[in-house]
Amino acid sequence: MRSKKRFTVFTFMYTAIIIWMSFSLQMLFSTVGTDPKPWIIEVNRNVAIISLVLSAVISISLSVFYAWIITNYRRTEIATLKCIGYTNNNVRVIIVGELIWVTMFSFLIVFELLIHVVAFSAYFYYTADRLSDFSPFIRFGPLLITIALFLVAQIGGILIAYRRVLRLRPIIALRIQK
Amino acid sequence: MKEIMIKCEGVHKEFRLRGNIIRALINVNVEIEAGEFIMIQGPTGCGKTTLLNVMSGLDLPDEGSVILDGEDIARANEDRLSNIRRQKIGFVFQDFNLVEHLTAIENVEALLWPTVLRTKEIEDRAIAALRAVDVLERKDHYPSDLSGGERQRVGMARAIIHQPRVLFADEPTGNLDPTSGKNVLELLKKLNKDLGTTMVVVTHDSSLVQYGDRVIKMDRGRIVR
Repeated sequence: MRSKKRFTVFTFMYTAIIIWMSFSLQMLFSTVGTDPKPWIIEVNRNVAIISLVLSAVISISLSVFYAWIITNYRRTEIATLKCIGYTNNNVRVIIVGELIWVTMFSFLIVFELLIHVVAFSAYFYYTADRLSDFSPFIRFGPLLITIALFLVAQIGGILIAYRRVLRLRPIIALRIQK
Repeated sequence: MKEIMIKCEGVHKEFRLRGNIIRALINVNVEIEAGEFIMIQGPTGCGKTTLLNVMSGLDLPDEGSVILDGEDIARANEDRLSNIRRQKIGFVFQDFNLVEHLTAIENVEALLWPTVLRTKEIEDRAIAALRAVDVLERKDHYPSDLSGGERQRVGMARAIIHQPRVLFADEPTGNLDPTSGKNVLELLKKLNKDLGTTMVVVTHDSSLVQYGDRVIKMDRGRIVR
């Protein structure tokens, strides 16, 4: 099942980038404040900004690449759907739906992962009196901002998908030899 | 007088291939009555698939008109063509063209998903279509688990779920063994009789033309008989 493999691989890549981006955001937020050594704050802030920009660029590239892969590997399927009466809009909904679904699914994996990390840490390392000091390695705020940024990053992929779906003629369904 | 389902008048179609102009259809005039079973037969490259594409609105003629069920599809825009295909046309493909990650019944239902019909009605229609082509017991299988003949039957169920006025089939037996191919054509004949659907089947195999009420024979872009 090629489509399942594709979905799994991209979900895990998205998951890794969501963690990376959230961590960069958290690092950036943590540099706000006072520190006895200002140059440390400066270095941390620069590292966080570079890391954030890099993760954003990779997430945009990945979404464009994923959209390209979907529309390329599903050419026959898209052409067949157009043959049987799907409009361009109907097909776009399917492609955009897959892009958004992968993003949301990756977010759920990260969220689930965080819950387990919290549970694990709380159980093994924290006593009841210290529990209020505890926070997971990624906080909820940066994670929510990351998912919003990630959804915005999908726009690149969505535009690619729109263009390629529009250009794909239904007659391809009859021409392609597998 | 019988209703005319498809009327092609003065249809010309050319392709440019590596700098050469290929005249695929030359002044083609065809009339197909509602409920007819038409076989389009001819050697490879004679223009039969191009004629099917033009008649079904998948391709536009360079000249001439194509009237399908009273509507000039050569001048319809893309959205209108999509609607015509969804409401009036069914396709059966040589390569079956089933979606690999959907089960047989989902493949059949897929045609009606973008419509306003309720899920239950879509499912009922898909079951009826699968039953009509005698493959209902395989409804929960994926295409990769089906034989070539079964896949083509699922493809046929998908083509009839919306009760089209015309069904176009491009070499529907091309990827099947002779027995399965014969069964598929017998099934198309049965659907033609039971549902009254107009059938237009393209084949290069002259032994299959016996299934048609009428044969359109093509050679070098022209209708020769």
